[in-house]
Amino acid sequence: MSRAAAPLIELVQVTRTYGRGSPDEVRALRGIDLTITPGEFLSVAGPSGCGKTTLLNLLGLLDSPTSGEVRWNEEPVGHRTDRARARMRLEGVGFIFQRFYLLPTLTARENVELPMRALRVPHGERTRRAGRLLEEVGLTGREKAFPHQLSGGEEQRVAVARALANEPGLLLADEPTGELDSGNTQAILALLEKVRHDHAASLVVVTHNPEVARRAQRHITMRDGTVLQDVREA
Amino acid sequence: MRRWGRVGALRHSRLQFVLAVAAIATAVALPVVLVSVGGGVSAHELSNLENAGYQIVVSAAGVHGITDAHNYTKAILAIPGVTAASPVLSVTIDAFTPKGAVTPVLAEGIIPGQFGPTLSPAEAGLFPLPLPLGDPTDLVHWANGTYDGPATYDMLVSSPYADEYHITTGEKLVLSPVANRSLGTTYTVTGSFGVPPSVLGPTGAFAVLLPLSDLQTLTGFAGTGAVAPDAADTIQVAVTGSISTNPVALDHVRAKVQALFPYYGVSSLTQEAQQLEAATGVLTGFYLALSSVGITVGLLFLALVLLRRVEADRRSIGIRRALGIPSRTIAAEILGSGATLALVGAAVGVAAGYLIVEALSAWANAAVQEAARLAVFEPLLLAELVGGIVGLSLLAGAVATRSALRTEITEALR
Repeated sequence: MSRAAAPLIELVQVTRTYGRGSPDEVRALRGIDLTITPGEFLSVAGPSGCGKTTLLNLLGLLDSPTSGEVRWNEEPVGHRTDRARARMRLEGVGFIFQRFYLLPTLTARENVELPMRALRVPHGERTRRAGRLLEEVGLTGREKAFPHQLSGGEEQRVAVARALANEPGLLLADEPTGELDSGNTQAILALLEKVRHDHAASLVVVTHNPEVARRAQRHITMRDGTVLQDVREA
Repeated sequence: MRRWGRVGALRHSRLQFVLAVAAIATAVALPVVLVSVGGGVSAHELSNLENAGYQIVVSAAGVHGITDAHNYTKAILAIPGVTAASPVLSVTIDAFTPKGAVTPVLAEGIIPGQFGPTLSPAEAGLFPLPLPLGDPTDLVHWANGTYDGPATYDMLVSSPYADEYHITTGEKLVLSPVANRSLGTTYTVTGSFGVPPSVLGPTGAFAVLLPLSDLQTLTGFAGTGAVAPDAADTIQVAVTGSISTNPVALDHVRAKVQALFPYYGVSSLTQEAQQLEAATGVLTGFYLALSSVGITVGLLFLALVLLRRVEADRRSIGIRRALGIPSRTIAAEILGSGATLALVGAAVGVAAGYLIVEALSAWANAAVQEAARLAVFEPLLLAELVGGIVGLSLLAGAVATRSALRTEITEALR
């Protein structure tokens, strides 16, 4: 296998069951096999409850599989400690959530700086990089605004800038346009494509929105915890 | 950056934090007042002991427990190094003023020539020395235990008493052990003396001083037929300067006095000072133990506030953990937040305690005012108290931290 084609992340026969052994047991994922290479843009679609968000949580190391294996850069991560997994998230993953999830007590700049602070990026470098990212997402002049002073579109832009703060190799977006109007949806989509291109990151977007899915190079459709379709565009 | 629990978070739950600070401040103010006033009073008493004009005291169980006081005094005076031995008998009697007023007064019977040398320098300034009470030895009237010698019938009155009843030198007062003027004895006021400040209030304000033998005959403590013949409460013994500053030599003299009275208590003021210091330590510990109840309640309240804060911030904590912020950073912020609140509460408590003591010294009744004015704020003790509170706040914070770190990231983000 060539160096360029080496998988960034792999799921091998991954299952995830909630409330195992209880009457309310939910089998969210049922033996998923998935390989993502660097720079890929995937969309994940499917009906509610089909396991999309669970898949995203496993890809982002927010959760652990009930069985099967998750590999990062061909290394299994199942045995890693919580601390090591947190470090991997900090350095390697950028999260963009449907409800933005900015910290309400921090300004836009402070939200963007948050992952860099945890990585002990020097103050000057942190400020410079946060300023550049906010400029990149079109929020120059809004650095000192708190989340409640921003529109939904602006909040999601801050979330995109925060996801890029530590220059991760993988961006995970869970319904990133789910709470935005069409104008902001277009703007965020254009922004995601631009940052994926500029930062050479893999992008996995969970979405119900066909317009979002259309922009991806690879389309995964899920149903009942399994991958129903995995289509790559030519 | 505003972090969890810092200024930004304070904006969102100001009332809870203010209440937590108030609870801890209240809990801290109590021991600050108790320890500072108690410590101040003890220090004052200790200072009085160290500066007293006598160094050894003979005492007996019960009131008026020493008998044969005049003879024992002579025996003590014969010990080398002893400069004065002053028996003191204190009895409450009734005094009838020339204008007909009757009031209970504290009468102290002393040997005039021996009393002066056992006064501290501060006390000595309050008395006209030598005391104008006739025979300085009190041996003439005592007359070897017969009390047949001529009495002088001289007395001194305290200046507050003299002021209150407009008594002047040369006037005559009738003193009686019962509230019946006809059973009393007439004395001539030969002078007045000042009353030393006392944390116990003006107990010596209405007092009279008269020769020991006079008070003994007046109150029935004289002669061989009395229940307690030639009685006294204590005998205060002064020694030479070189002995008073040499603990070994002082103890040697104390042992010689003790040998005279194996059945009485004989202690040096050094021992009494040690006992007082030990008692002060016990009291301080008791105050702190008493205050620990309030402090426990304050810290429980702090723990609840922090837990409530973690509950309210569960999503923020989940977001931060999802982003990869290390658990130790989150834990440090919660613990830091608790410690900051505790530090602020403790600082406010110390300030409040100080203000309470100031208020007591300005507006409380006389005895409390006097005690409050003696308050000593020991920086080291206060720092230990504040440090202890901050240390204990880490325990309160640990409960909240545990809850925060048990948060499932995926649950928090739902």
